[in-house]
Amino acid sequence: MTQKIEAAVLGSGPGGYVAAIRLGQLGKETILIEKEKLGGVCLNIGCIPSKALIRVAKLKQRVEAAKQIGVEVTGVNVDFAKVQAWKQGVVDRLVSGIDYLLKGNNVKLVKGTGKFIGAHQLEVKSTDGTEIIEAKDIIIATGSRYFDLPTFRFNGTNIISSTEALSLQQVPKKLAIIGGGVTGLEMGTMYAQLGTKVTIIEMLDQLLPGIDIDLVRIVERSLRKLGIEYHVKSKAKEYRDGKVYATLEDGKEGAFDAEKVLVTVGRRPNSDEIGLEKVGVQTDSHGFIQVNKKMQTNLPGVYAIGDVVGPPMLAHKASKEGIVAAEVIAGMNSEADFHAIAGVIFTDPEIASVGLTESQAKERGYDPIVGKFPFTALGRALLAGETEGFTKIVADKNTDLVLGVHIVGAEASDLISEASLAIEMGATLEDIGFTVHPHPTLPESVMEAAEAAKGKAIHILQK
Amino acid sequence: MVYEFRLPDIGEGIAEGEVVKWLVKEGDNIKENQPLVEIMTDKVNVEIPSPKQGIIQKLMAKEGEVVKVGQALLSIEESGGQPSVSSSERTPVATKPSPLTSAKTPTIAQETQLTAAPQVSRKPDEVLATPATRKLARDLSVDLSVVQGTGRGGRIKDEDVQRFKQLGRAAAAVAVTTSGPRGVEERVPLRGVRRKVAEHMLKSKNMAAQVTNVDEVDMTEVVHLRERANATAEKRGVKLTYLPFVIKALIPALKQYPYLNSSLDDEREEIVLKKYYNIGIATDTESGLVVPVVKDAEHKSITQLATEIATLSEKAHAGQLALNEVQGSTFTITNVGGIGGVFATPIINYPEVAILGLYKITKRPVAKDNQITIRDMTYLSLSFDHRVLDGAMASRFVNAIKQYLEDPKLLLLETD
Repeated sequence: MTQKIEAAVLGSGPGGYVAAIRLGQLGKETILIEKEKLGGVCLNIGCIPSKALIRVAKLKQRVEAAKQIGVEVTGVNVDFAKVQAWKQGVVDRLVSGIDYLLKGNNVKLVKGTGKFIGAHQLEVKSTDGTEIIEAKDIIIATGSRYFDLPTFRFNGTNIISSTEALSLQQVPKKLAIIGGGVTGLEMGTMYAQLGTKVTIIEMLDQLLPGIDIDLVRIVERSLRKLGIEYHVKSKAKEYRDGKVYATLEDGKEGAFDAEKVLVTVGRRPNSDEIGLEKVGVQTDSHGFIQVNKKMQTNLPGVYAIGDVVGPPMLAHKASKEGIVAAEVIAGMNSEADFHAIAGVIFTDPEIASVGLTESQAKERGYDPIVGKFPFTALGRALLAGETEGFTKIVADKNTDLVLGVHIVGAEASDLISEASLAIEMGATLEDIGFTVHPHPTLPESVMEAAEAAKGKAIHILQK
Repeated sequence: MVYEFRLPDIGEGIAEGEVVKWLVKEGDNIKENQPLVEIMTDKVNVEIPSPKQGIIQKLMAKEGEVVKVGQALLSIEESGGQPSVSSSERTPVATKPSPLTSAKTPTIAQETQLTAAPQVSRKPDEVLATPATRKLARDLSVDLSVVQGTGRGGRIKDEDVQRFKQLGRAAAAVAVTTSGPRGVEERVPLRGVRRKVAEHMLKSKNMAAQVTNVDEVDMTEVVHLRERANATAEKRGVKLTYLPFVIKALIPALKQYPYLNSSLDDEREEIVLKKYYNIGIATDTESGLVVPVVKDAEHKSITQLATEIATLSEKAHAGQLALNEVQGSTFTITNVGGIGGVFATPIINYPEVAILGLYKITKRPVAKDNQITIRDMTYLSLSFDHRVLDGAMASRFVNAIKQYLEDPKLLLLETD
């Protein structure tokens, strides 16, 4: 059976479903193709479920810590099976919300595995059979998948990916995590707070490679407090008899008890099984699809968005790119010309970062100045008992143009959007510093950091 | 595969060019190396050939629009060959000298090697504009990297984008006749050489403090010398005008007064005294003023100068000057003697600091040795930049030229 349609979107993650909704809003007849679950990795096995479990773990930790401020709770018990059920409820609710929005925008959802068989033709296979979808415009939004290591192949039972790690019915007693990146640290922190003995093994010379080391130091301290053992410059070699064997930073051999081994060493684009070579859509050596600012591939009428076009692999980047692609298809003059995309890490405390770091600013030829404001000087952080961390702002010395904001601390993920707006608007230190921020709140740290860059923060001594 | 072709770096420090004429249209099937577009850079027209074969998908600049090096010109739907994306490409493009394509537009063959510019001409975050302004610019097809922002710290505001659009680097492409308040008016777009002259003259007037000094010169000796020399020169196939004689008189004067052969480096606040003598010859052509350059004039004989000036002038009229033939002058001469007028106050060919004006030679009665005699007289004007030199030096410099012209035998005393 062949269906002819104006636009088709391959993949229903935060890039694909958003693109489909915008196409619908713009009056395009659209089909959205999904081989697994609506909402993709982000909703079903990524951002949302992980944040659900992280919230539970943090809550438990905060309840236990509450006795310091006079709230004594005894016998805190986490019913993990119930937690999982609640998490699934949140996911289901969000998925049905998307389903409702798709219907309301006349987007037709087709379940099955899609593949290019022609420049404007997708073959979609499902248990119900095979159909051909012919579309004038096609958006590839197939995302990415994690990969394992030759010595640590996923087996679904004790060598697991983040998917399984988010669906365990019991909190493991001992967990080894290979890969100290974002997912590894988020999962490690979460399970440690739930009582697991966690070991993290990272091959590179710092945890969270690529993140400003100043911020990472704060998170490392909290990992140690949680009893997490971590090793950088270390190489995990094998998992045998319930132990992970590794060569450590000092050259010595280590062995770590682990009921489960979580492998979080990175993600690769899902560009290899969708027939791109057949139609000649160009990818780079890593398999990322090459696109321009309008999200167009080299093939007219074929667009690509999200993880499959390259890093940063972030849901919010995918969504914005999806909107751009949909608008371009509808004949609008849109471009993905963002100046800044924030990255957020849900460790405890959180990290959020947007724009250039000090060293990146130097590389780009700026003469950067830096303002830093610690959470210890912030009333609201003290009230929350979360004084770990700081806000750091990087600006150009000559023009005071805000180039980057980097936060490690409580609710950093919620604080960063002010900074993103500032960068998109071309704000200066004075713009942020002068803006009245309500007291007592955490965003005061952004205002104070802007003032600190000019040596005039009120609540710290700068001499 | 859609290939986006961007204005390549034409070399010689040129950052932008005007689209004079498209030689292809959307939908055209083109071959590799087929000329795509005529681009005018600093007084020179260049035909840019296609690096690819395929079908022209979209022309992204209008005739008359000024495009920056690295800015998208057109997209080509490639046919044949390996698919590729322009972002990863740096294809060297070579142009061949190409003949005139249209009799009306002076096209100048380009001999320089062209190199395709990298995809990004300016880092996106160096364009200071809010997301809403960026969208407005896209909607109005305005490239923000060429818009001058009037906001704080060069921020580009909505008004800047709108003004840019209206003043239209891309104004209407044809002359239109309209009814003005007092009758019929014709509106001719300011294009090509005319626009370059307009920009250049205004810049000169704005940048330099210009003063003009006028003197009269007795050319009788030069007139006789030229008559005698012409007999010999014609045997060599050269026809002598007065210009080579003036250049001969000019060079030793420039050497005596080096400040006349200089330019002012405003940024570093330094006067650059040039120890080479490249003489620009202001030349009137159908499309406007161009200034070909006689390089290293101090090493050339009268006949060599005459031959070279004749060649350059022919090329200028045919619109075939190469870029290096209009660049690098250190001092300019303008000669309107063949046309008329007593004298004028020419504008300096900025960043030079002086321009010498030559006028008609006429027989006039003059008092000489207490006698009224008929002599071949002319006027010389020297417009100079008062920032760099003063009136006294200018007068002395003109006196020096005058001395050699009135007694050309003195030139025998000078060596190059």
